[in-house]
Amino acid sequence: MSGQKIELCKTSDVDEGSAIKVETHDLILAVFNLNGAFYVMDDTCSHGPGSLSEGPIHGDVIECDFHNGSFNIKTGEVVDPPCMIPMKTYPTHVEGEAVFIEI
Amino acid sequence: MPLISIPAANLSFDCPDDDTIMRAAVRNGLGFPYECNVGSCGNCKFELLEGEIEHLRQNPPGWSERDLQRNRYLGCQAKPLSDCKIKLNLRDHYKSHILPRKVSGKLMAVHDLTHDIREFQFALDVPVAFVPGQYALLSVPGIEGARAYSMGNITDDGNQWHFQIKRVPNGLATSALFDRLKLGDEIGLDGPYGMAYLREEAPRDLLLIAGGSGLSPMISLTRGAAASTKLNGRQLHFFYGGRTASDMCADRVLGSLPGYGTNIHYYPAISMPETDGPQWSGRTGFIHDYVREAMGDKIRDMEIYFAGPPAMAEAVTRMIVEYKVPMAQVHFDQFY
Repeated sequence: MSGQKIELCKTSDVDEGSAIKVETHDLILAVFNLNGAFYVMDDTCSHGPGSLSEGPIHGDVIECDFHNGSFNIKTGEVVDPPCMIPMKTYPTHVEGEAVFIEI
Repeated sequence: MPLISIPAANLSFDCPDDDTIMRAAVRNGLGFPYECNVGSCGNCKFELLEGEIEHLRQNPPGWSERDLQRNRYLGCQAKPLSDCKIKLNLRDHYKSHILPRKVSGKLMAVHDLTHDIREFQFALDVPVAFVPGQYALLSVPGIEGARAYSMGNITDDGNQWHFQIKRVPNGLATSALFDRLKLGDEIGLDGPYGMAYLREEAPRDLLLIAGGSGLSPMISLTRGAAASTKLNGRQLHFFYGGRTASDMCADRVLGSLPGYGTNIHYYPAISMPETDGPQWSGRTGFIHDYVREAMGDKIRDMEIYFAGPPAMAEAVTRMIVEYKVPMAQVHFDQFY
């Protein structure tokens, strides 16, 4: 189904400059808060079993703490190897205090 | 026997004194992430919350100073010295269909496929089945630490595991296997492991890409596909890359399979033709370039399996990313 809206969390659940993991609708997602703006991508690194919500954030970049590859949080593009496969990102909206994605 | 607990998942399991935390977890049916099983790939990292462990392999390549600072260890190498509490994300993808076991294998036969690839056939003291494409850990007499090799045969009863092993120049384990292991000798086998196994339910033609030491699992997958009624009539494209003409051998194995030439298609290529070696009239170049040229956009609609040296695996992965193949259709084990 496309265009389905899913509520993931409250804006206050994610501190600025950090991420949380949200599991819903058979998805495992990383929800990022960059200076008050929210971004969502799949949580499992495209390269291995690392969980991106547990990695360090450097500016717009999330580093996977398994093999130290990294991705652009806003686009999902690969920034550093060994990752080669871009991460899937989701259109993300904030309505009131809730963070939504579209799938 | 140490008890290993994963509080976040609310479960625990026993880890025998001669086992490691990841292997014991997988034997208990848990989806503990791993791939190489020998300390190289780093996929089995966990955080030690409580307790004491030691690594079997000193300074494994998949482990860093930073991991140590964060109290993270490699599950495949971690031998518990006490009860432990650990943290990691279990994932269903890593659950085994056939739980791995430690058994003993007696060397029943060997034969040479090329100047440096030899098939070793072991009879197991306790039968253990495997899915085509999986691997086992071999404990070779006189050699510290286990080595991972993929089975090349298929089996219903699990009585025999065959391995097509490429000799590594000056390699300790392959020297022991090629030069010292005699018919009737026994070695320790532990398996099956690995996620790059045959998906009989996948509704697509198959693309298999092998290089060098990656031959064995691709042969097993081809044998499995040829024997599978679910895959009856499916097209299988087998690409095999070697350095020289004397490395080429897959057709001798594949040629006897039902469907060879009609459903099973063989594409060999060598990257370094020799002037003084055997004649080669076939394709010259890298195997991934051959795949790209022969298959083109069809790659996106295929179930893809590959195994081989790091440079080949990286080039193949780049090609798969470029063609935007859904990763659920792609199967390989990271061994580095």
